[in-house]
Amino acid sequence: MRFILSLFVLVLGLAAAVPVAAQQGVSDTEIVIGCSNSFSGPLAYTGEQATRFGVDLYLKVVNDAGGINGRKVRTVYYDDGYKPQEAVANTRKLVEQDKIFAVIAPQGTPPVMATLEYLEENRVPLLFPFQGSPVIRGKKYVFSGMTLYDRQSRMMIDYLVGQRKLKSFGVLYQDDDYGKSFLTAFEKDLARHNLKMTATESVKRGVTDVSAQIAKLRAASPQAVFLVLTPGPGAQALKERQKIGWTDTVMVSSGPLTDEKYLALAGDASEGVEGLSLWPDPVTSELPGMKAYREAMQKHFGKNEPNRYSLSGYFAAMLFAEGARRAGKNLTRDTLIAALEGINGFQSGILPPVTIGADHETQRQGFWVRVEKGRFKQLTDWLKSD
Amino acid sequence: MTARGRFAVGALLAALLVWPWVAPRYFVFLASVILVNVIVAIGLNLLSGYTNQLSFGHAGFLAIGAYTTAVLTLRAPGLPVLVTLVLGGLATAAVGLAFGVPCLRLGGLYLTMATLAFGFVITEAILNLDGLTRGADGLRVPAARLGALALSSDAARYYLTAAVATVMVAAAVNLVRTRTGRAFLAIRESEIAAQASGVPVAAYKTLAFGLSAFYTGVAGGLFAFVVGFLSPDAFDVFLSVDFVVMIIVGGLGSVPGSIIGATVVTVLHDGLAAFQNYRPLIFGALLIACMLFMPGGMTRALSRVRRR
Repeated sequence: MRFILSLFVLVLGLAAAVPVAAQQGVSDTEIVIGCSNSFSGPLAYTGEQATRFGVDLYLKVVNDAGGINGRKVRTVYYDDGYKPQEAVANTRKLVEQDKIFAVIAPQGTPPVMATLEYLEENRVPLLFPFQGSPVIRGKKYVFSGMTLYDRQSRMMIDYLVGQRKLKSFGVLYQDDDYGKSFLTAFEKDLARHNLKMTATESVKRGVTDVSAQIAKLRAASPQAVFLVLTPGPGAQALKERQKIGWTDTVMVSSGPLTDEKYLALAGDASEGVEGLSLWPDPVTSELPGMKAYREAMQKHFGKNEPNRYSLSGYFAAMLFAEGARRAGKNLTRDTLIAALEGINGFQSGILPPVTIGADHETQRQGFWVRVEKGRFKQLTDWLKSD
Repeated sequence: MTARGRFAVGALLAALLVWPWVAPRYFVFLASVILVNVIVAIGLNLLSGYTNQLSFGHAGFLAIGAYTTAVLTLRAPGLPVLVTLVLGGLATAAVGLAFGVPCLRLGGLYLTMATLAFGFVITEAILNLDGLTRGADGLRVPAARLGALALSSDAARYYLTAAVATVMVAAAVNLVRTRTGRAFLAIRESEIAAQASGVPVAAYKTLAFGLSAFYTGVAGGLFAFVVGFLSPDAFDVFLSVDFVVMIIVGGLGSVPGSIIGATVVTVLHDGLAAFQNYRPLIFGALLIACMLFMPGGMTRALSRVRRR
C-alpha cells in the first residue's frame, strides 16, 4: 500500500512538474524564435533586411551582452517567397518541428493572414508582423508591428486639413486590402472635417502603367493626391506626372510607400513629394537609438547599408527583448504577453516612448516629410493618432 | 499484378492508414501536401507523359479547383465535401475541355506557350473576380464537412486527402490499361501512326485535357482544405514548373513515376526551405543532374538497377 501511495505521489509530482519545464522554445540557456518570410520573390530584399540584418542584428547585440535573463536568443527563418501556402507550411514547421517560442516579424498581408488562424488556435504569439492592415487588431496573441493604416490615414488627413488648410483630395490606390484599408479610412477621416474625396482611381496589383489614372486625376485637379501604392507603380506615377508637366498638386505617399527604394526608382521626379514617414531617416538621423543601430550595423554587417527595413526588424527584436526581460526567469507565452502589455513609456531612442497596453498596438505615430534633393526632409515633429 | 507488386501496394496502403498515429504532427500535414501533389502529378502526366502535350499552366487548373471548392464550401455549407470536390473537379474539367479544343491546332512549343499564358490569365481572373474570390486579399477556407462532421483536425484532413488520392491513383492505373490509355500512348509515339491505325486523335487529345484538368481540379479542392487559405500569389508560374519537375523527375508516362516524383520534389522543397535564397539554385542544379543522369526519371532508373 505504501509503495502504491508513493508511486501515486511520484506520478502526481511528475505531472505537476511537466508543465513548468515545458514552455516550448524556452530552455534555461536559450530562447528560439523565428518566422517565415520572403527571401525570394517580389519582397526578397525587404524580408532579408528585416530578419537577417534587422532582428538578428539586435539579437547579436543582446547575446553579446549575455542574453535575456541568461538566455541567448536563436532565430530560425524559412523562405515563403510571398506565397501563402508556403507560409503555412513554414509556420507549421517552425511551431511543430523547430518548437519556436514565438513568431517574430513575418511580412506581407497574404502570408501573415494565411497563418493567423493556425497561430491563434495553437496559442503561439505573432509578434510585430511587417504589415499594417487593421484586420489583425484585437487578437489575443497578436501584436502589430507597424502603425496601422487607419491611424496613418488619420494623421495624414488631420495634418493636411488642419495645418496645411487643404480642401480637395484625390487618391490613387492599389486595388487590394492595403489600398482599400487606406481608402475607407481616408473617406471616414475626411467626413470628420466635412470634406469628400473628389477623385478616386485604382491600380491592380502588379500593373505598372498608370498613365490613364494620372490623366484622370489631373482632370479632377485636387489640391493633393494620395499615393497608396508599392514602390514600382508609385515611382511610375511620379514619372508620369513629370512627363505631362502636372505640378500644381501635392503628391502625398502613404507610410509603407515612403521609403528610399521608391525615391531611387523615381529619380528626380520625386522632388517635392510629401508623405508620412514611419521611421527616422536610417542614414542621417542623430537620435541616440539610431546611432546605436548604425554602429551595430557597422560592427556586425559592415557591408550592409542601413535602411528602414532592417531598422524595423531591429526595432521588433528590441521590443521582444524588452518584453522577455520584463517577463523574467519564468518566461512563458502568457507571461510574455502580459509583460508586453505592461510596457509603458519604453525609451527606444528610435521612436517616441512606446506604450503598448491591451490593444496590442506597438506604434501609433509618424512624421511629415518632403523630398528635397533626393532625401526625405523632416517637416514636423512626431504626429500622434490617439 | 505479381505477388511482390501486390505486397508493395498492400504495405503502402497500410502505411497510409497508420501514418497519423506514428508520425509527428508536422509530417501528417506534409503527407497531405504530398498526396495533393501526387494527384496533380498524375493529372499532368496523363496530359504530358501520355499524350505528349506539355503544360506549364497546371497551377491555373489547381487554382480553379481550389477556388470553386472553397467558394462552394462557403456559399453552400450543407454540401458534403465529396460532392464539392467532384464539382470542383468537373468545373475545372469544363475549363480544361474549353481550353483543350482550340489548343488542338497547336503543337510542341506553341502549346506550351498557350498553357503558360493560361496560367497567367487565371491569376488575373482571380484578381478581377474579387466579389467571388476576394481578389488579392485572399480567401479563408472553412473546414470541410462530411454530414454533421467537420474535418478540422490535421488527421481528418489527411484521411480525406489519402482516401481521395487512393481512389484517383487506382482509377489512373486502370485507365492507362484500357483502350483510352493505349490510345493516349499511341498518340505520344506518333500522331500520324495513331491516326492511321484508326485512333481519333483530336477526340483523345481533348479527352486528355479534360481528364488532366479534372484530376488537377480535385487536387485543388484538397489543396484548399489542407492549406486553409487561398490567394492568387499561391498559383504562380513557378508552381506550374514544380509540377512539370515532378513528372520529369519521377518519370513521364508512368503512374508510379508520378507518385515518386511528387513525393521527392515535395520533400526536397520542404527540406530546402531553410536555405532561403539559395533554394532555387540548389533545386535547379538537382533538376539538371536528374535530367543528365536519369533520363526517363526515377522509375526507369530504379527498374534498371533492379534488372542488374
